[in-house]
This record gives sequence, structure tokens and C-alpha cells, in this order.
Amino acid sequence: MTKKRRAAALTALDLLALLMALLVLFPVFYGVCGAFKTPEEFAAWPPTVLPNSFRNTENFTRVFAQAPMGRYYWNSFVMATMTSAVRLVLAVLAAYAFVFFDFPGHRTCFFLLLGTMMMPPDTLTIANYQTVSRMGLIDTYVGMGIVSFAGASQMFMLRQHFLTSPKALREAAMLDGCGDLRFLVSILAPTASPLLMTLFLQSFLTQWNAYLWPLLVTNRPEMRTVQVGLTMLTTVDGTNYEVMLAGAAVVMLPAMLFYAALRRFVSRAMENGPLLS
Amino acid sequence: MQMQAAKRRDRVRRPGERVSKGWLFLLPMAVFAFLFQYWPFLQTAVQSFCTVNFRGDITGFAGLENFRYLFSRREFSAALRNTLVLTAVNVPVTLALTLLLAWMTAGRRRLSPLTETLFALPMAVSMASVAMIFRVLLNPTVGYVNYCLGLNVGWLTDRHWAMPAILIMTVWMGIAFNYLLFLSAFRAVPKELTDSASLEGAGPLRLLFSVQLPLISPTILYVVCTNTVQAMMTNGPVLILTQGGPARSTMTLIYLMYTSGYGSSNYSLAACVSLISFGLTLLFTLLIFTTERGKVHYQ
Repeated sequence: MTKKRRAAALTALDLLALLMALLVLFPVFYGVCGAFKTPEEFAAWPPTVLPNSFRNTENFTRVFAQAPMGRYYWNSFVMATMTSAVRLVLAVLAAYAFVFFDFPGHRTCFFLLLGTMMMPPDTLTIANYQTVSRMGLIDTYVGMGIVSFAGASQMFMLRQHFLTSPKALREAAMLDGCGDLRFLVSILAPTASPLLMTLFLQSFLTQWNAYLWPLLVTNRPEMRTVQVGLTMLTTVDGTNYEVMLAGAAVVMLPAMLFYAALRRFVSRAMENGPLLS
Repeated sequence: MQMQAAKRRDRVRRPGERVSKGWLFLLPMAVFAFLFQYWPFLQTAVQSFCTVNFRGDITGFAGLENFRYLFSRREFSAALRNTLVLTAVNVPVTLALTLLLAWMTAGRRRLSPLTETLFALPMAVSMASVAMIFRVLLNPTVGYVNYCLGLNVGWLTDRHWAMPAILIMTVWMGIAFNYLLFLSAFRAVPKELTDSASLEGAGPLRLLFSVQLPLISPTILYVVCTNTVQAMMTNGPVLILTQGGPARSTMTLIYLMYTSGYGSSNYSLAACVSLISFGLTLLFTLLIFTTERGKVHYQ
């Protein structure tokens, strides 16, 4: 009897959770549906959630006509890939140095790099903006990514991982005449590939979704990222809700699909998250 | 024998080379960490005590004059108050909400994979898209929120409602990430512990407060810290939706820094604001760590 009641309670709990999940996702659902509405449907009272027809793709055509979305996509893609790659390579090299070399100042350097995690990047944006504009990097991909090249948390996670690999492995490789770089690339990196993949995806998603910094360092319309371009859709024509939502859908759906496909990796990164505290 | 010989050879040949090689591997990251993290920090600290022209060149020493000027401005007191309110509401609400959601779904049951994925999906949605959607949702005439709640408020245009609107949005954006953290923390609690507690007659609530929460306290500490930092840095939704208005009701510190530095090229003022928000954030983080000391249980 109690077993039955317990099962019923659990089912109720599950259904409640599902309901809450749908509630949390409602804004996304509403946004995607709104992208298929006509201006008349928006003006109608009472407001609806579902559009009359999902075959009305005019808003999407208008988004692509109003703004060079393809170009924005390309910009975001290049910027996010380049930044995440550089960030990862630098973190791998630094983590390697901390684990396999013993040089004076090694500990001080480690803590100095970790110390950067205490500085919220947002407080540094104006000062960084001055540096980047002095370097003449406004409106360049490098300018958009350069402030994120040093990733202390990535370095830290990689260091923790490298520490677990047996020292004898490197010594054996060295005896066989393998250099450090070659050892790193062909022996150590493959053993760390799930972690490398996770870190890359995590930083790709962060870069792809970044807003304030790409906004600051781009002036020319053709250098805008999707996120910045999306918010500029509204200034063109203030009250085009359906076009705004179509733009939001176009920007958000690929990232969500990408994320859903690779969630296994991301949740592994989550599990590593608390380590940082 | 051979190994030892090799090691000796290693020691004789290596030292100088190893030192320089270690530096070589470290250097690229160190350069960027210095240039874009330590250097801007120093620059900010120096500029806040100096007069700086619109190109960012230091033209003289100002002492505390910039701070005095800043403190006399109403934008600043509004920004400070709003940021503190945002943090004070956002952090506990997000914490309670995501803990509850994770607790409800922690058991692996039939519907779990579905609910988990649904809760986690908003993580992939960018702040800019969320802002666009909320702009429509919260619209006073065509928006769905007013319709559902039977209200008629200008969420983003009324100075009493703009801040709650920003809060709703920032809480929403934090759900997915924190939920996933708590979910994996709940699942990492050893099953023997919860099982034996249940056998001894502990109900679900007793189990939560006496077994699960103490065991996941490191994650709670982590979430409280990262959320505090994030809430103190709130600026994106403000920048896109309200521009600090109406009547400064959504002005936040980082948004003030952005408008005074980037908008008006008043770099010394921007530097003061950023130094203050950095100091406050650091202070809060340290406070959290000292008050939690002893209460957080590490396995």
C-alpha cells in the first residue's frame, strides 16, 4: 500500500517537474512561435501563443533581407572558433609547463595566473577597449577574441588532468628521443581528448553568445556578430515584433541544436565545475 | 642501472635548457593574461586617480577628485542601489529555485531524461535572443505576460516595474546552468547514505536537510559565489532593453561604467566605477567564504 502511494507521489512529482520545465521553456517556445506570426496576429486581442500557420516564413526572409545574417554568422563562427582554439592551445602549453617543468618562479606564476579568475572581465572592458583600439584591432576578429586568449580556469583543469598522467610516460618518451612538443601532441593530448573537447565546446558556446565585447570592438556593420546584429534589427524598425522574434529564432536555434547534440560533453564539464571552488 | 644512467645524463644535460623551455611553454598565456587582465586592472586603478583625456592619455593627477565627483552624481547612487538590490534578490531566488528543481528531478526515473534536457536547454540561448523575446513577452499591449496575469503595466517603461522585469530575465537566464550543477551534485550523493537514512525513518524533507544539503554544500558555495559575481556584473539586459531607464531605475554599475567610458569617453569616471564594482564584488566573495567556513562540508 505505502509502496503504491510512494510510486504515485513520485509520478506526481515528475509531472509537476515536467510542467515547471515547460513553464521555464515557455519564453523560448513563445519566441519561436512568434517568428511565424503576421503583424495582424500580433495586433489582435487576446494575444495568442501559436501562430495561425507555421508555413508563414515571410519573417525569416525579411530578417535575411534586412540584415546580412549570413555574414554575421560567418563572423561569429570565425571569431568563436579562432578564440576557442587559441585559448585552448595556450592553456595546454601553460598547463604542460606547470606539470612537467620545474623552474624558479613556477609556483608564483601559477598563482598569478589563477588570480586572474578573481577579476570579473566586465570590470576590465573599458580599459581593454583602450588597449585594443590603440593596437588598431577594432573591427578585426583578433580584436574580438584577444581579451579571452588567456583562460586560467581551462589551464587549471588541464593541469589537474595532466597531473594524473604517469611521469614515467614522459621519461620513456624522452628516452626514445621524443621532444616535449611531440610528446604533448601525439601522446598526452590524445589521452586528454574528452576534456579538450569539452573545454573547446564550452568556450565556443560562450564566445558565440558573447555580446558586450563584440559590440564594443566592432563599428563596421560587416564585422558584427550574430548577437550584435540581432539587437540591431530593432533599431531599423522599432515595432516589428515578428521580425525581431524571427531573428532571435534564427540566432538561437542552431546553438540549441548544437548544444542538445553535445550535451553529454557539456554536462561532463558541469561535473568538473565545482572543482574550481 | 640503465635508467639511473639515463637520469644522470638527464640531470647533467638539462638544467639550463629545461628552465628556458618551461618559460617558453608558459610565456604565450602569461603574455595575454598580463596584457588583458593585470594591465587593464592596473590601468583602471591608476586612471581612477588621474585626469584622462578622451583618447585615454593621462593628463594629470586628480587625487580623490574623480571619486568625489562620482559620489555626487545621482546616476551613481542609483546604480549602486540597483546593483545591490539585483544581487540581493537574484542570488537567493536563483539558489532556492534551482535547488528545488534539481531536488525534484534528482532521482533517475522514466521522465528524468526529458525534464533534464528541457531544463538545460535555455543554457544554449544567448542573452541577446532572450532579451528580444522578453521585449515582446513583456510588451504592455501585445505581450503575453500582461494578458496572463491580467495586468496592465509597462514592464520596461514604468520605473517601478522595469527592475522586476530585469530581475525576471536574469533569474531565468541563470536557471539552466545552476540547475545542471545541482543536479549532478545531488546525484553524486552516495546512495548508501540516503538509503540508510530512509531505512531509519527519515522522510524526504529530513533527508534533504540532514543528508543531501550538507553533502552538496560545496556546490552551493560555488553557486552563491559565481551568481553573486554575475549579478554584480549585470549589464546586458539593461543595455538592450532599458538603457538604464526609465528615470535611472535600472541603471547598474557596469552599465554606468559602459556609458561613461564608451559613451562619453570619460575614462577616469569609468575607471572609478569599475574599481568600485570590482572592490564590492571581491568583498562579497570574501564575506561569503568567511561566513560559510565551517558550514561547508567537504567529502
